[in-house]
Amino acid sequence: MAEIELKTAPADFRFPTTNQTRHCFTRYIEYHKCLNAKGEDASECQKFARYYRSLCPMEWVEKWNEQRENGTFPGPL
Amino acid sequence: MRPKRAPFFTTLGGGGEGGLHTTGAKWFMIESQRHSYHLVDPSPWPISGSLGALATTVGGVMYMHPFQGGATLLSLGLIFILYTMFVWWRDVLRESTLEGHHTKAVQLGPRYGSILFIVSEVMFLFAFFWASSHSSLAPTVEIGGIWPPKGIGVLDPREIPFLNTPILPSSGAAVTWAHHAILAGKEKRAVYALVATVSLALVSTGFQGMEYYQAPSTISDSIYGSTFFSATGFHGFHVIIGTLFLIICGIRQYLGHLTKEHHVGFEAAAWYWHFVDVVRLFPFVSIYWWGGI
Repeated sequence: MAEIELKTAPADFRFPTTNQTRHCFTRYIEYHKCLNAKGEDASECQKFARYYRSLCPMEWVEKWNEQRENGTFPGPL
Repeated sequence: MRPKRAPFFTTLGGGGEGGLHTTGAKWFMIESQRHSYHLVDPSPWPISGSLGALATTVGGVMYMHPFQGGATLLSLGLIFILYTMFVWWRDVLRESTLEGHHTKAVQLGPRYGSILFIVSEVMFLFAFFWASSHSSLAPTVEIGGIWPPKGIGVLDPREIPFLNTPILPSSGAAVTWAHHAILAGKEKRAVYALVATVSLALVSTGFQGMEYYQAPSTISDSIYGSTFFSATGFHGFHVIIGTLFLIICGIRQYLGHLTKEHHVGFEAAAWYWHFVDVVRLFPFVSIYWWGGI
């Protein structure tokens, strides 16, 4: 059977605390900023996508995606 | 020998140290009491103030919940409290300036009291500035991790706030001018200085009112509005109270109540005014200037 490689988001010195909320939010923002800058489906952006998907609860991600669609997302995209 | 006085001041009783301050009756009273303290006559104002406070608090709660008559009770309570303040302080003025009970020892009470009150006001405003800093230095994820939050219209600190920032300290300088005039015995000049102080204060309050009127955001607009308007609003309320205090000092000075040795009420007003002044600087820098960029 092939080895399954398990990885998660690397420890980021910008967020040394136990509460990683801001880390999750920052990765989400970085992913979308990357998409806006490099265009959809850029492969460089997938790194950020994997990070935020490891860190963030899916409820938050769904809520933020909905806010982005409505135009009410408060973050700096 | 009676000191020379400007014609539009009145003096009561004999001349001596300061006209209004030393009537013949006072000397008799001090001689018979054998201590330099003031045992106050019974007064209804403490109980009336308490009743007013009760009415205000109960009326306030009724107003904020679905009970009839809350607004009426709240307004009655507030009017009662204001009336109590007016008559109580009028009595203090009568006892000190007209009856002469306020020896140096007695004056220490109002002096320390004023200082402690101002310290308590500093603590009060400190709480609001803490709240402002708490929200703005590490903005939460729910508002996007940025400050000011997205979509909030902030006031340009280079416009009216920047204009008001020299006006209030100039008013503070004018009150110091008034103080020096009182200490030098130049009574008419002290009146002019107080008029200047109050005019500058009213101008700055007027500008602040205009700014509030056409501000792009309100107190209901996210945590920004809550912290901005409660901090600046309470500061503005204190400016209005300080202005009223200074107007009363101006009237008393005009009537000749204040002498160069004895003017505790004026000093309390001047300290309060300086406190209001200094407190204004902190929000200008942290809330208007830093908080808007």
